[in-house]
Amino acid sequence: MGAARLLAIKGVTLFGVLLVSLLLVIVVLGATGVSDRMMGSIVNEEVRELRQSLAITIRDPIELERVVLAEREQLVEFYGLDNPWYTRLPDMVWRILRLDLGSARTLKSFSGSTRVSDIVLERLPNTVILVTTALAISSVLGLYIGVKLATRVGTTLDRGVSYISAASYALPSWWVGIIFIMILSFQFHIFPFGGITSAPVPSGFLNRTFDIMWHATLPIITLTLASVGSWAYVVRTMVLNTAQEDFVTVARAKGLPENKIMNRHIIRVAAPPIVTNLVLGLTASFGGAILTETVFNWPGMGRLYYDAIFALDENVIVALTFIFTLLYVGARFILEVLYILLDPRVRY
Amino acid sequence: MKLLEVKNLKLYYQSTRGTVKAVDGISLDLAKSEALGIVGESGSGKTSLSLALMRVLPSNIDTNEGKVILDGKDITQLSEEEFRKEIRWNTISMVFQGAMNSLNPVLKVGHQIAEPMLLEKTVNKKEAYKKSEDLLEMVGLPKEIFNRYAHELSGGMKQRVMIASALILNPKLVILDEPTSALDVSIQAQIMNLLKRFKKELDISMIFITHDIALSSDLCDKLAVLYAGEIIEKGTAEQMFGKPKHPYTQLLLASIPGLKQDASPKFIPGAPPDLTSPPTGCRFHARCPYRFDPCDKKPPPAFKIEKDHLSRCWLNEGDKK
Amino acid sequence: MEERTRNLFKELLSSGSGKVGIAFIIALIIISLGVIIIYPPDFGLKYWSNPVLWADNPRAAPPAWTNLFSSYNQAETVIFETNIPTERIPGVSTTKVLYTFNLNHKADEPPSFISMTVGNIKYNNRPPVLIVNIERPDGNKIELYRLIVPGPLPNEVTPFARFSETPFRIQLSGNHEVVSAVSNFLKQEFDVSISNQDLLLSGVDIAVFGTPQDDGKFDVLMGVYKIQVDAFLYNEDDSIGSVKFVAGGSVHGFMGTDTLGRDLSIGLLFGFPVALFIGLVASSITTVIGTSLGIISGYIGGKTDTSIQRAADIFTNIPLLPILIFLSFIVGPNLFIIILILIIFSWPGLTILIRSMVLQIRSGQLVESSITLGASRLRIMLRHIFPQTAPFVFAQMIFFTPSAILAEAALSFLGLGDPSLPTWGQILEYGFRNGGIYVGYWWWILPPGILIVITAMTFVLIALGMEPIINPRLKRGH
Repeated sequence: MGAARLLAIKGVTLFGVLLVSLLLVIVVLGATGVSDRMMGSIVNEEVRELRQSLAITIRDPIELERVVLAEREQLVEFYGLDNPWYTRLPDMVWRILRLDLGSARTLKSFSGSTRVSDIVLERLPNTVILVTTALAISSVLGLYIGVKLATRVGTTLDRGVSYISAASYALPSWWVGIIFIMILSFQFHIFPFGGITSAPVPSGFLNRTFDIMWHATLPIITLTLASVGSWAYVVRTMVLNTAQEDFVTVARAKGLPENKIMNRHIIRVAAPPIVTNLVLGLTASFGGAILTETVFNWPGMGRLYYDAIFALDENVIVALTFIFTLLYVGARFILEVLYILLDPRVRY
Repeated sequence: MKLLEVKNLKLYYQSTRGTVKAVDGISLDLAKSEALGIVGESGSGKTSLSLALMRVLPSNIDTNEGKVILDGKDITQLSEEEFRKEIRWNTISMVFQGAMNSLNPVLKVGHQIAEPMLLEKTVNKKEAYKKSEDLLEMVGLPKEIFNRYAHELSGGMKQRVMIASALILNPKLVILDEPTSALDVSIQAQIMNLLKRFKKELDISMIFITHDIALSSDLCDKLAVLYAGEIIEKGTAEQMFGKPKHPYTQLLLASIPGLKQDASPKFIPGAPPDLTSPPTGCRFHARCPYRFDPCDKKPPPAFKIEKDHLSRCWLNEGDKK
Repeated sequence: MEERTRNLFKELLSSGSGKVGIAFIIALIIISLGVIIIYPPDFGLKYWSNPVLWADNPRAAPPAWTNLFSSYNQAETVIFETNIPTERIPGVSTTKVLYTFNLNHKADEPPSFISMTVGNIKYNNRPPVLIVNIERPDGNKIELYRLIVPGPLPNEVTPFARFSETPFRIQLSGNHEVVSAVSNFLKQEFDVSISNQDLLLSGVDIAVFGTPQDDGKFDVLMGVYKIQVDAFLYNEDDSIGSVKFVAGGSVHGFMGTDTLGRDLSIGLLFGFPVALFIGLVASSITTVIGTSLGIISGYIGGKTDTSIQRAADIFTNIPLLPILIFLSFIVGPNLFIIILILIIFSWPGLTILIRSMVLQIRSGQLVESSITLGASRLRIMLRHIFPQTAPFVFAQMIFFTPSAILAEAALSFLGLGDPSLPTWGQILEYGFRNGGIYVGYWWWILPPGILIVITAMTFVLIALGMEPIINPRLKRGH
């Protein structure tokens, strides 16, 4: 199978993922009547404002009611509320796919804008900082520990770390975050309780950067701890599996030194499945960001998603679901390309 | 002069069922540019013997003792690092059983051939790659194979690559572990011809490990038959094929189907013994059609039939000279 | 199949982690069964979420055993409750019924509150009167409160029943009548004047259970307090159902309380069966669906295979938590919906794995010979293919269980838990939302998390014990 064809199939699947999650959200909102209710309240709001402004010019209450009613019908038609929810669906999907995200109902950006894209763009970097830093740290750490363990299979160290990493699977990261706050912030006052900057924000670029780093430390440690254990364990397993392949014995017989065998004949071969696991880690990280950001009150997209759901802000919910999936799908696609570069077997 | 002398080599593994005596006191010798065939059923310790010679051992080793003298020097005394640098691929190289999995799937074939050569600081990449390409041509493959990956090659091509790979550092001895077992008969013949050619042209010694005694007749000057971790008979090719002394050797030869013979090939009843608890006495006695009194009690020593010809069978006690 | 499965259990019991895991799960099951037997089925809505039931508990009190680690002895909640009077003194027109409680106060602080609850009072003509007195260790006596049971309504028929449905609770500590009684007492006994307003603010308890000092503060007076409730009944047939007196502590029970005064040990215990239910139901249904689709996909092949694989591909790639949060918010907090969503998004992983196994098994001799013998597809899948995947499937089920438990906990933590079934995640969430981590309510935050971890860990340990069977290649390396 050609590399291009393979990438095309992956691309189509990933686009399918994007579309399915988007449809899922819109259909659920529509079928449960939430969408209609939310649209209705927008119409009511506009009608109320209209009535107020018209009341100044139109004195006759009957005439006023007639004009307002006519306007209302126009609005209802404009928003497509006179038709069932599913008639609005294609339009909405198309709009979102073009990244025309509309405006939020109640949520605002820090600068006061109600445009969803403004709100999201403001928070996107915060989440990306958190997730990518944590992912980078945990993958480097996991790779290092995993390889170390694989060369020491069966030792106390190996068994110990294997148990710890298994244990970390059972450890919800958000709870670990809470424990960190209780111990390091409440008890010892080493780290802040949450947020992204101190109040007031320190002046000077350097001070501000350090302030953000200080605030980001606990969330990043939390996210890293959540994934590094299972990550190390996966690397260990992959390396062990590969180490038992015949070509590794051949490489040893060829007189290659152990570090060359490990790097070129084991890690290099185990890399593609390890990359696959990185993808799984990525999904977990995005999900984990919602919880971690909630715990640490970190003004990222995860926290926004949480806020949007409780504020019943349809446009923000739909947009964020889409963007979460989009980010994920994008990262996933990059990894597919990486996979193809790493493993010649899938290239042809 | 002897190139290789193996004296009382033992290799035991640990397993959940007990100690596996895979190689149990084997002695061999091999002269320069000679080919020695080692014949045995699966599970007789053939592969363990070759791994012991290359010292690439699994981690569950119990006992590894005996002497391996190469060019007059006991290489078992070398440290791991010395052994790696001086012996592996430099002096002894090996073509492993199962060419299918002997190549790294993510590295180019040519690079894998050249890899051991690149370890030497005096060699530059270009030279090593040139040699790798030459070797590919020598084993009958086009140069372009250099840039291919393992999954793009057929079984026969992979085996040729492995043979080329074994020759990169001009070793004195090449161990060939079932080099043809996974291949079609026609390709098998091609590979055998290639090996015969190299033996003649390159002046190298070979240890040819196989379960197929007929195949070894083609290539080998000397033959040793392995059974349950022991050599039960060894001798020159003429001695072994002309006057086999051990019943097991005789049965192996009788099991070769012949095109022009009327007699149907015979098979050897029973299965090879469990190496965790080898039978008392002669290890073959349970399957031997000629067993008599001492067979299941006393293990037979190696009786010398004539020069170079030894057999471990009580029947040969009288033949001792 | 039997042999493979037997091997699985043998392997499991031979490994240390397997043994520990099995021991833990047995303990979890025993606790859960106990809870199911003892707790009412509508525990969540009717009991746990009913603040009235918890009114007599101190709020946000740490566990009682924390006293062991501190030189300062905190008060424990003491509850006196009876329906039999200590003494009954019949009179000419009135019957005096006495309830006496001896409260031995040994703490370095006064009770956090005192309250009285009376229930099920019946009378025939005049409403009974109840008087609460307290006699201090220094011999002083305070009449704290006087309760006149509400009189008959027009057209009401005898006997008049009061407080029979819901007992009547008087928070004595914050009561104005009590405050002025105590203020008078201080004036008379110690010549200390504190205005009612100030007394209400500083808390009446320290005055009742202490002696005023020169610096205006009170010292706790330790010793036996005699609390006496005198009830005056005006008819032979009048009766008082129950009398309850509570001296609230600032430590409570084994696990402490939350800000509603709920005994956390009770809620935490209820979490056991719920967690097991979520984990096991979600994992077993996911396993059944994932395995069947995997076998069908791998064995039937063709278009069926392609469509199942495409669907699986898409579902595994949808980021689970955002969708889960979204759906449970829209559809409403319902445990069964949460489980359903978990299943919908979890089967594909297993299906992909099983399919690749089936592809190998399909080309095996056993299956080929069965096909030659004319066995039906269903039979081959059920009798020949499934048994070969069984140990693996079982291990996957065990491994998925903690994920389901953790997913529910995460949702609950985000405030999307099902209120009719309190879970550890919900208790944690309530603690978090009430600022538990910023004021250090460790007894509220730690235990639910620890229980979640232990339960999830139990299944991880079992899965770990089965690893050599699932991944036999790793075993060779040892």
